[in-house]
Amino acid sequence: MPASSAVADPRVGVELSEEDRSRSALYRLLGRILIAPPDAAARSALSGLQGDDSPLGQALNALAAEAARGDHDLEREYHDLFIGLGRGELVPYGSYYLTGFLNEKPLALLRRDMARLAIARRESVREPEDHVGAVLEMMAGLIDGSFAVAPGDIAAQQQFFATHVEPVAPRFFADLGQAEAARFYGPVATVGRLFLEVEASAFQMV
Amino acid sequence: MRTKKDKVSKSERRDFLKLAGIGAVAGGAAALGRAEKAEAAAPDAASGSGYRETEHVKKFYRSARF
Repeated sequence: MPASSAVADPRVGVELSEEDRSRSALYRLLGRILIAPPDAAARSALSGLQGDDSPLGQALNALAAEAARGDHDLEREYHDLFIGLGRGELVPYGSYYLTGFLNEKPLALLRRDMARLAIARRESVREPEDHVGAVLEMMAGLIDGSFAVAPGDIAAQQQFFATHVEPVAPRFFADLGQAEAARFYGPVATVGRLFLEVEASAFQMV
Repeated sequence: MRTKKDKVSKSERRDFLKLAGIGAVAGGAAALGRAEKAEAAAPDAASGSGYRETEHVKKFYRSARF
């Protein structure tokens, strides 16, 4: 299981606007279902997602509908997409997307920022920290105050987004949407892509 | 010192987020956070002598009903 970054209970609700609570929740949701396939309880929770009639809202509804279906073999799909024999259809690591190799400079830069932001890596985890899901979870923590960053510190969020999320995750979600093995993860990719477009636009209004 | 421009762009950003569908997410996503948290709360323990209780192992135990 790749590096997961949350080390404390997020102080959700502390001085957090509704939008920031939603942003954090959505980053965390995406992060977690990329780090591991959702089990029955998580799928049940996903099927309760309700979006409005915006494109992102509709994508959330589509994901909820997909999660409610009982006919997925999510373990296999996840394996085919991300693990495989040596590699899966996708290689969901920032270094790979930016350099073509794992464990490269983007990982070093992420580790430096993790140290600065007091984001700790779980000791038992072997995989590199720049797994796309782990980075999205880190965004969630930056927004809701899990780390040494106050909730509402939009400049810190923007810097992390620009350095570690934007150069990698949108392309990753585009690839995931095209992946042959993707069934459940197709709607996941749409949610991810649209959400990050919204985030990028919103950061320009900071 | 907060200028008028800051106020305008902050509310502009929040309005944009709301319009873009961000406001609706919290309920279901929070429920997912709880479901996932229960699983993550299980001891990440034994970071010692090579035996790691990975997902693989946990699943085996669950299926074997130990």
